[in-house]
Amino acid sequence: MASTLRSSAARRILATKPTSAIRLLPQTRVAAFHASQRHQILPPGPQVVHGTVNDPVPIPTPNATHGSYHWAFERIIALGMLPLTVAPFAAGTANPALDAALGTALILHSHIGFDACVTDYFPKRQYPKTRTFMVWLLRASTITAAVGLFSIQTNDVGLTEGIKRFWRA
Amino acid sequence: MLSTRVLSRSLLRSARPNSTAFFTPRRMITTESISASSANSILAAQRLARPVSPHLSIYQPQLTWYLSMTTRITGVALSGIFYLYTIGYVLVSPFGVDMSVANASKKWGELNGAVKAAVKVPLAACFSFHFWNGIRHLVWDTGRELTVRGVYRTGYGVLGLTALSTLGLVVV
Repeated sequence: MASTLRSSAARRILATKPTSAIRLLPQTRVAAFHASQRHQILPPGPQVVHGTVNDPVPIPTPNATHGSYHWAFERIIALGMLPLTVAPFAAGTANPALDAALGTALILHSHIGFDACVTDYFPKRQYPKTRTFMVWLLRASTITAAVGLFSIQTNDVGLTEGIKRFWRA
Repeated sequence: MLSTRVLSRSLLRSARPNSTAFFTPRRMITTESISASSANSILAAQRLARPVSPHLSIYQPQLTWYLSMTTRITGVALSGIFYLYTIGYVLVSPFGVDMSVANASKKWGELNGAVKAAVKVPLAACFSFHFWNGIRHLVWDTGRELTVRGVYRTGYGVLGLTALSTLGLVVV
């Protein structure tokens, strides 16, 4: 009871006009850290606070596939694409096996590249729902693209010949 | 005698609950305890009001990060076109639109030459740049040319090769 009375009294005092003594105090102003013009590219994303500052850094669960294998895998694909992108066009023939290898490498390389973009631009900490959506959208897109490529390879003229026709049209 | 009385009075007062309230100066602020989650939401709201640190626009345009950025942009452009066509091949064909290479390339070929050039030249440049800079990255991955001098030397080399092969692809 006493505390409620006191707080209501305090609120009444705070609500009244500041006395001259209070008015002398400097007003709180927000100042930029730098004098140059502010160039804000994007508004700040949603701020999420997890735990407290005293929490230890979580240790990720060890996973055998999380080593540097993906790095080597990406390089092998990129390295393999160098001859695959040049050879069919230089040779002038559309070998089905070569075409299939180029198509597979292209799909994998594209997926890895898009996945890196999703990881970079939709951080899980700030946009957990958008991140999940984008990851699944990319997976669906990659599978659909692979299906489309497969039908181009099997029922149509094939990848190399297709690119050639578009380029020379 | 008097001193004993005073002492006993003071002892009695201190033993009473709220005995110190009389002497404590009244503070004109109130505090309230809030839950951890609402404290976090206040903290999050405060963080939103902080100035956003500027990026990209405050850095001097340099070959290093411009080429790095361009690699991703060209890659997304090339793969984006590839995905758009192949996904369209699957999703649009059932609705009676002829997405076959023969028909689509014929329609594309009927377009104005200037329009075709406006698409083909950037596309050739995108592919050339991504190709040559990809090789540059693979060279870096072996540990070579990882000096300031090496980065600039290979960077200008990539730009030169890109110009040449773009020209070659357009002429083909």
